[in-house]
Amino acid sequence: MNDQPVPKERDIGPETSEVRKETFASALVHGPDLVLTVIILAFCGLVYYWTSEFEEVPQLLAQNLPPEWFPQLLLWTIIVLTLSLPFEHLFLKAGKKELDEDRKAKVQPIAIITALLLFGIVVMFETLGTIISMILVCILLPPLWGERRLKMIFSFAIIFPSTVAFVFSNLLKVYFEPGILALFLP
Amino acid sequence: MEPVITGLLLLADPFNFFLIFCGVVVGVTVGALPGLSSPMAVALLLPFTIGLEPVAAIAMLASLYCAGTFGGSITAILINAPGAPPAVATAFDGYPMAQRGEAGRALGLAAVSSVIGGVFSLVVFLLATPMLAKVALSFNPPEYFALAVFALSMLASISGKSSIRNLIGGTVGVLISTIGIHLTTGVERFTFGSPEMSDGIHFVAVLIGLFAMGELLNQSQTLKVTLERIESIVVKLPSRADFNRVKWTILRSCGLGTFIGILPAEGSTVAAIMGYNEAKRWSKNKEEFGKGCPEGIAGPEAANNAAAGGAMVPTLALGIPGSGTTAIILAALIMHGFRPGPYLMNETPHFIYAIFGAMLIANFMFLGIGLAGAKLFSRITLIPKTFLWPAVFVFSLVGAYSYSSSLFDVWVMLIAGIVGFVMRRHGFGPAPLVMGLILGPLVEERLSQSMILFDNNWFRFFESPIVNLFFFLTALSLFWPLISPLFKRLFRSSTQ
Repeated sequence: MNDQPVPKERDIGPETSEVRKETFASALVHGPDLVLTVIILAFCGLVYYWTSEFEEVPQLLAQNLPPEWFPQLLLWTIIVLTLSLPFEHLFLKAGKKELDEDRKAKVQPIAIITALLLFGIVVMFETLGTIISMILVCILLPPLWGERRLKMIFSFAIIFPSTVAFVFSNLLKVYFEPGILALFLP
Repeated sequence: MEPVITGLLLLADPFNFFLIFCGVVVGVTVGALPGLSSPMAVALLLPFTIGLEPVAAIAMLASLYCAGTFGGSITAILINAPGAPPAVATAFDGYPMAQRGEAGRALGLAAVSSVIGGVFSLVVFLLATPMLAKVALSFNPPEYFALAVFALSMLASISGKSSIRNLIGGTVGVLISTIGIHLTTGVERFTFGSPEMSDGIHFVAVLIGLFAMGELLNQSQTLKVTLERIESIVVKLPSRADFNRVKWTILRSCGLGTFIGILPAEGSTVAAIMGYNEAKRWSKNKEEFGKGCPEGIAGPEAANNAAAGGAMVPTLALGIPGSGTTAIILAALIMHGFRPGPYLMNETPHFIYAIFGAMLIANFMFLGIGLAGAKLFSRITLIPKTFLWPAVFVFSLVGAYSYSSSLFDVWVMLIAGIVGFVMRRHGFGPAPLVMGLILGPLVEERLSQSMILFDNNWFRFFESPIVNLFFFLTALSLFWPLISPLFKRLFRSSTQ
């Protein structure tokens, strides 16, 4: 399919300067951080808009310090700092490599599935109650993460939440939301 | 002297003593477990201390902090997996020494150096806290604002890859602290009509989310990582020859670690790395470093534990956290109704001395527990992640909910966890955000007071010499990464 030779940079001819320009630009600006900068700036813009929607107060009450003044000051600080992000690699010893170390690997599906599972448990938290939610976490998360010893999973799911509930409710007087258990309790 | 005795007597209660013991065991355990850290453990325990007496609660958290710093060295030495970031430098020489079959010697050196570092910094803590608090009592709002800005600027040099990201994280933390009712005008900010948000975002839920949930998602991606293990450990106290060899390294690291700990925002990790570098710089056996050099273990271990005690000084005397973990301890103080800062020393000095006593006891306890139980603690890494992290989530869930029995806090915890996970991937650590979140109300309140005092004239800040000093230090810490190479070049050319 792709048997045509790929032209080397020096064979390109008139486009060479363009390639050089691109190389210079990419050397100067770090791509992933540029995207990050745009996202943070967009977020700052949104928050700035929210600050402009704060209730207006009389000058006398605000004493020249309206409620939006401090958050806007912080937003400007974040904006100024963020604008330097794409160029930060120029000041680092290991350059882009150092900044990209953590994000070079893609987010694995297991992390997203875990987040979704925990999200689901929190959605049902009030209905299920604290104890049932704890048991659900202990039953669902270990097999999701590759645990296959069923006996251990069930022992863990029963012993651990019961111990936590007992110790914390009796010793530290922590309140546990009963949830659906309330239907079965006297 | 009376407050000292009263404070120490508070710890004589067997229950308080038991809690210190629990703090030490939990601290060494979480310190030893890679992925779990003392800030995370302190954040997770925080909501459960509501029902405890303030002295007992803070003593337990402070003990956990001390022991957690040491705990990381166990797995750093035995399996080359530093349980906590401050132990990273310990692994450089600890693990090679263990590979040579001298794991017990390495652990003994680490334990003794840690205790000396810890005790040294506590003596400084005992002497410096009242003095610093006395000075801080004369501070007015502008001075306090300048101090808080200096503390935030120190985030630029906190451990992490990027100074700018740390500063952005700190500022975002301050921004989050503005959620809720504005104290001067009573106007709701960023509440979107939600009554739960009128009181602001509870820092406990954010702390748990950032430290525990974020790490949980991170760990879900490293399930297949297996750790190499060194077996048959007989822990030995350092021999006289070993001690003589490392005594000056320990002493130097004690001073360095305590000083770094006292600096706002700088914590044990920075101290440990600097302790290692200094140990190497002053050593006559530089070529042995990286191959199991005793100074390479003693230097970072004494420094990181000294930093733990040092970090308590600004936390208690000024209300400015000395590190990420002390930021959470500061949050615990606020939660228990204390006003951290000079008034704490003025109004409840016995409380400060009780914390000192607890940390002192913790230092000796972890020496005993660490030496006797090193083999056991190295085995806790055998706990499968598939059970460990669900357990952490259970604690997160219960902790976030129990703080104010509100589902809203559970949501905050979950969202903070996901945000923390994404932030980490892009080089933003959780500690700067937490520092900003905790310092935020202080910064806004003092700035507003100053601006009212100065009739909105910014230039009047420069009338105070203390403010000028803090602003100078702020500028220095912000531009240090740029000017330090210049200094190094000047230093090199002058020595050649």
